Amino acid sequence: MKELLDKALDYAGKNAKWAEARYIEVESTGLSYRNGQFDGIDSGKESGIAVRVLNESYSSAYFDTTDWEKARDFIDDAIARSKFPGKKFMGTIREDKASWKITQRRPVKDFPLEEKLEIVRDSDRIMESEGASMRINFLGDKIINGTYLNSTGANISWETARIQYFYMFGVGSGDKFEQSTGQYGASKGYEYMKELNLDEIVKSEVSVLRKSAEAHRPEPGTYDFVIGPEISGIVAHESCGHPTEYDRIIGREGSQAGESFLTGKEFPFRIGSDAVSVIDDPTIPGSYGYYQYDDEGVRARKRYLYRNGMTSEFIHNRESAASLSTEPNGGGRSSSWEMEPLPRMSTTYIEPGKYEVDELFEGIEKGIYMKSFTEWNIDDIRYNEKYVGKEAYLIENGKITDVVRRPVIETNTISFYSSVDAVAKDLKFYAATCGKGDPEQGCDVWMGGPHVRLRNIRIQ
Amino acid sequence: MNSADMIFEKLQKLNLNDIVVQNVREDSSQVRFSRDSKDIHNRWIEDSTSVFVSRGKKTASTVIKDYSATDSALEKLIFLLDHSPDNESFMGINPEKQDYSSIRKGTKGDADIQELASVMIDSAMSNGAERVAGLIYNSFSEVTVITPYNRAEYNLGGYELLIRAFRGEMTGQEATHTGMNGTRPEEAARSLGEKAAITASMIDHRSEGRAGKFRILMSPYLTGNIISYGSSFFSAYAVEAGFSCFADLLGKTVGKENLNIVDDPTDISGTGFRPVDDEGTVTFPKSIVENGVLKTFLHSHSTALRSNAKTTGNAGIISPTSFQMKIKAGESSEEEMISSLDEGLYIKNAWYTRFQDYRNGIFSTVPRDGVFYVKNGEIKEVWGGIRISDSIPSILSNIDMISRETQNVKWWEEIFACNMPSVAADSVTVTKAF
Repeated sequence: MKELLDKALDYAGKNAKWAEARYIEVESTGLSYRNGQFDGIDSGKESGIAVRVLNESYSSAYFDTTDWEKARDFIDDAIARSKFPGKKFMGTIREDKASWKITQRRPVKDFPLEEKLEIVRDSDRIMESEGASMRINFLGDKIINGTYLNSTGANISWETARIQYFYMFGVGSGDKFEQSTGQYGASKGYEYMKELNLDEIVKSEVSVLRKSAEAHRPEPGTYDFVIGPEISGIVAHESCGHPTEYDRIIGREGSQAGESFLTGKEFPFRIGSDAVSVIDDPTIPGSYGYYQYDDEGVRARKRYLYRNGMTSEFIHNRESAASLSTEPNGGGRSSSWEMEPLPRMSTTYIEPGKYEVDELFEGIEKGIYMKSFTEWNIDDIRYNEKYVGKEAYLIENGKITDVVRRPVIETNTISFYSSVDAVAKDLKFYAATCGKGDPEQGCDVWMGGPHVRLRNIRIQ
Repeated sequence: MNSADMIFEKLQKLNLNDIVVQNVREDSSQVRFSRDSKDIHNRWIEDSTSVFVSRGKKTASTVIKDYSATDSALEKLIFLLDHSPDNESFMGINPEKQDYSSIRKGTKGDADIQELASVMIDSAMSNGAERVAGLIYNSFSEVTVITPYNRAEYNLGGYELLIRAFRGEMTGQEATHTGMNGTRPEEAARSLGEKAAITASMIDHRSEGRAGKFRILMSPYLTGNIISYGSSFFSAYAVEAGFSCFADLLGKTVGKENLNIVDDPTDISGTGFRPVDDEGTVTFPKSIVENGVLKTFLHSHSTALRSNAKTTGNAGIISPTSFQMKIKAGESSEEEMISSLDEGLYIKNAWYTRFQDYRNGIFSTVPRDGVFYVKNGEIKEVWGGIRISDSIPSILSNIDMISRETQNVKWWEEIFACNMPSVAADSVTVTKAF
């Protein structure tokens, strides 16, 4: 099938103002345990070609045939459809020819099945021995090979691999039930699972959750908060990363994930205190959303989305950048060969500050240390948001004291970032699958940050 | 011989117990639009085959797309099968001979989706929208399912139409699905555009919402959102895993007498039409909740055997799933339901439904696209900044009015293809952001 790629681009390029052809092959394996029982193993190999053409508007054909005559018919149909009027923004750059791959010390393709099984089985057993009666553990990996070509000269090929570990468990029963989900991932070989130290993570998680199930909800009122890196990460992702995806700002996701509270604003726009800067960076080695070139052949780079409390740069693909008359900045990602590249996050995080973590607690008379979250959601302009604490403690006179159960921050983006008065030096990342687009595209990302202090947060 | 037959023949020579080969040949198109003009036209032409095999208690599955590499894909599958632990909970696939003679075949729709999009956009803009975004799908698949006991061929497909209208800070959204023999999409396109614009134009400014307990009239979209997310709790897989809020409620009352929840994969007027499940069982409509009582969980052959039940034709072999949920129509008209609302909320849609507690069904969701405060039967305000923060069991048990009108609704990942009425529930908890 890959042999058709050059032919497809050549043909499409001759019949369109601009054309691209992308081949992606993903080989994956996944296995799971549920409450101590093996739940089966899945594997698969997906591949196909996406041809996108631009004339009076964009049109794409996604096909997996190896028959050139059929492929040409599909491309012809796309060309005909692209003559229907519509948007025709196309960001051009000085195109690159490049090849990149990640380093795997224990390559995914060679990692023994028995060792994969042992990882999942051990995690399940630890959860059970610590008192989790309901458990699902999943380990997945994938090897991705791709080639991107376009009619303005880009030629990028790549090979990467990703590991993902997901678990869900529950402790207690009735109104003393508590649940936890965890997702970890990296663009690495299986050396990642050793670095992760999963056994210690799940042991600690179950133990903490059992205490949470027995704890009391905090009294409603106004508290100072210290939030942990997991919460910094989800906030950075939801209320900075998404609203700065420029396709949302111009309405392209309007009927799905929505627009942005930044739609119609003059930039730079103040989003919070000077202490807050948020970065999206696809180039952090090993990160779950790592890439050197995006799925439109544009070189990836670090981007400040918020800087010192103001909007700074947006996440762009070729189309959204051209609509703003700027250059694309390597944010065009598609989750598989059969999806269009959209402006997407990679690793989004609050930039670490100057404080030691301990210093954030000093001087807090009555506060809450919210280390991790369970339920969360946010409105479609990414303004009104909610985070329910999973592991959380009271802070009294600068000291962490009792465990508290499910404290709820229900606030808005400007209030949240405006309440930040101190950011610690630490930095930690968590994996997630970010949803966007229609058809829905789940993109592998990291999100993270340091410990952050918030003043005067009202909880119900 | 198509790909499914070729792969099945190869697998038969490999000393396996169960084999399920499912081939899907898809030709689907989509047009997306925003700010009143086309963004992109997409077309997918794919041929993929999923394979499930078992030997004794061992199970494994794979997906094959490159048929020139079928032998190596099957070799890998058998290697994984042989080197896996037993899947102790697996009890085999359905061995009963199935009768597929009554399955209705469909054909791919012939409407031009770019023209439909223009109709929908024009309809919204001429009814007060300032800008719109949306999409239209025309999907069609030919499916072949082969097991050692059965061989089925059927078609899936239909149209999906979605439009969101914007006027100032107000929005209205409509979305429907029409199956292969469903409503013609031309009329749906015009009507959805108009309705979305009318919702966005009803009141021109938004008020801050208030927290509290409210009687809420939920449109088919909000009802569909809650039932879509809630349907996974009816799966025997979730029940066995311990993550279902209905786990201890089989045979017990979960709603008032007027509440009837059905999974109906046989209704070809919706895109949730699914005449055969993943192990070849002919599907059928089944009452999950009948007159307020939880009657069954959703089963594959394997989960049914473990529960001394019969398959409900809802495989997923390992994890059963609903296909096309319905709440049966009630006796009230939607107009009556609004006019009888002394004080409460009329909420058209919601998104980002997330659970903090699967075992007790505790969740929150963010209302959008028409959040109306109603006093003395009249819409008085549009609210922003609120969420429904409650539980599935509590909301179901508090539904006391169901509309006689129902609607095919489907929207993105938030509402699975279903047919829903409007419902009214008392004492629903609403929270607000500070």
